[in-house]
Amino acid sequence: MRKGNKLTRRRFIKGSIGAVAAFTIVPRRVLGGQGNTPPSETFGGALIGCGGRGNGTFEGLGPNVEKRAICDVKFIGREDGKMVYSDFRRVLERKDIDLVAIATHPGWHALISIAAMEAGKDVLCEKPMTRFIAEGRAVVEAQNRYKRIFQIGTFGRFDESRNRDRVLTHKIMASGLLGTNCKAVHRASGGLKVAEWSGMVNAQPQPIPKSLNWDMYCGPAPLRPYHPHRFGGTHRGYWDYEGGGLSDMGQHHFDPIQWRFAKDHTSPIEIEPYAPPAHPEACAMWGWVEMKYADGLTLVFESQEWGKPYDRKDERGVSLDDLSEEDRKKIAEMPDPEPLVSFPDAIRTRKQPGGHAEAAHRCATLLHLANLAIRTGRKLKYDPVKEQIIGDEEANRLVNQPMRAPWHL
Amino acid sequence: MANPSDNLADLVNQMPDPDQRGMYCTDIDKEKIEAAIAGIHQGGRKNIKGIIDMLVEPGKGDDVKAHYALHALGLHLCKLDDDKLRRQFAKTLASQLADRPKAVQAYLVQEIQAFGGKEVVAELGALLTDEDLCEPAAMALVAIREGAAEQLRNALPKAKGKSRLTIVQNLGVVRDKDSVAELKKAAKDEDQDIRIAATWALGNIGDAGSADLLLDIADKSQGWERIQATKASLLLAERLLAAGRKTDAAAIYKHLRDTRSDPAEKYIRDAALSALAAAG
Repeated sequence: MRKGNKLTRRRFIKGSIGAVAAFTIVPRRVLGGQGNTPPSETFGGALIGCGGRGNGTFEGLGPNVEKRAICDVKFIGREDGKMVYSDFRRVLERKDIDLVAIATHPGWHALISIAAMEAGKDVLCEKPMTRFIAEGRAVVEAQNRYKRIFQIGTFGRFDESRNRDRVLTHKIMASGLLGTNCKAVHRASGGLKVAEWSGMVNAQPQPIPKSLNWDMYCGPAPLRPYHPHRFGGTHRGYWDYEGGGLSDMGQHHFDPIQWRFAKDHTSPIEIEPYAPPAHPEACAMWGWVEMKYADGLTLVFESQEWGKPYDRKDERGVSLDDLSEEDRKKIAEMPDPEPLVSFPDAIRTRKQPGGHAEAAHRCATLLHLANLAIRTGRKLKYDPVKEQIIGDEEANRLVNQPMRAPWHL
Repeated sequence: MANPSDNLADLVNQMPDPDQRGMYCTDIDKEKIEAAIAGIHQGGRKNIKGIIDMLVEPGKGDDVKAHYALHALGLHLCKLDDDKLRRQFAKTLASQLADRPKAVQAYLVQEIQAFGGKEVVAELGALLTDEDLCEPAAMALVAIREGAAEQLRNALPKAKGKSRLTIVQNLGVVRDKDSVAELKKAAKDEDQDIRIAATWALGNIGDAGSADLLLDIADKSQGWERIQATKASLLLAERLLAAGRKTDAAAIYKHLRDTRSDPAEKYIRDAALSALAAAG
């Protein structure tokens, strides 16, 4: 979590447990879940991706969830067909699994989220939601097709939605009363771990560990020679699996901001980078990326780790002073947004959770657009409805990236 | 007079050195890199071929700078927004595929995926039956899209193993209606991955004549294959709805509504009911 963010994952989960304890539990079978519901109304949970974030992600499934399966591509030789798996497809076949926590590398997040929902499971998926933009739309479609619950594994927006000042900003932006004259500028400077999560450009092939299914680890991405730096947390440094520190930390930083400025259903239309020419496989240094929405809102991501600092616009918020007196009255009469629903509540009530697929997809899109601009080295225009780059074929190829069979969206 | 090859070597040497961790994080001079790349560009096709000649297989030498320089050159050409230059670059990459180590070929194909167009689909098509290169070749074809279907379709009769799976799936990605007959055969293949890829491909293409086949597979299979065949059926219904074929789509939904009586598949029944209601 970003330093200074008061809502840690652990505090959020505790808060949710407290809220759920006061909530009437509806039996699982009534809600359309799989199989018969035990008297204790326990959900069957599975963890797919058992690295550093695994247990924390599983905790996010909430109370009354029994861990019935763990799965990781590094469990070759340990599989028992009961608790330990190396192939997520075998886990999803189980009828006693209701919920799936996904903590693999992001190159697998969308595919396993979709597959889990196709198998009737609800999903809590680690951030970043996706590796490229089209994956996010596919997750939204799967959520809608199967009426499943999807929650992204970052929760700052819940704290944001309880802050009175942020709620006011949200209401002003959601109202549309600013038209295309929004002058707000949000700058996020530093804390994006750019150098920390860069990739090696001179990695030499190493023998594949016997316990690791490297082909499955690479999954939809190109099958590269094995190197330990491409595995474990350092996978973050490669376009094949993630998008550097920007992708890794970005959803924590910008998801609350996206909520604050009421942008859960749209994306920027202009993206401009300041960065050196990108490496084809390894994430590396960049300076800043400026993004503008159609209504004028500007977001700036600044690494503070390379190049000259961003000096175009100062940070500026949104206030009632930006509106006419008549419009201020309209805001005063607007109801506050509904409280965001936690994942434990959502799986019981079937209400949309606060970090639902569309919102998470739009936030991940911010990160991907920024990385597209960095990777191509040029200003891009984006159509947030068609979800396509406009007038730039090479950049547009990175919006929907081909996958290795048998994996596809 | 300076030897052009010496000049190219000097220009490639202007690319950054990896730092202590093997990364491009220290002393990254954007202006220096871009000036060197512009200089490489001035040398035209000869310089592109010269950089390719510097590429080696992983573990067989140091080509870090040449590897980066080739990609940076592609980025530079795209910034110039001159399609003739881009095509020349792609054609040069494609012309250098033969007689190179497989890993070097794979890298050239990766660059073609980023920067190439229909002008090089034939060269990519020729790689589709190569067990080591079929995946990058198919990914490049799909990225280029124009002209891809014909290459994939023509390679299918000769393809085996991983190559066959790759082609079957990507015929679905490009939604090639002319492959429906072959895909229906592949939906009955002895290999489960190929069956699943073919059923998905038929669903994604939106072939109304495949509905009974997909539903039959979905009804008779178990586990992951059943999940995927059911998904293919739902996808087909959505494609049919989008094409205005409401009756055909409704037939799929009704079948799933009426046959998914196991409590474990209630969510499929509910999905079908919901879709029927939405279709009106």
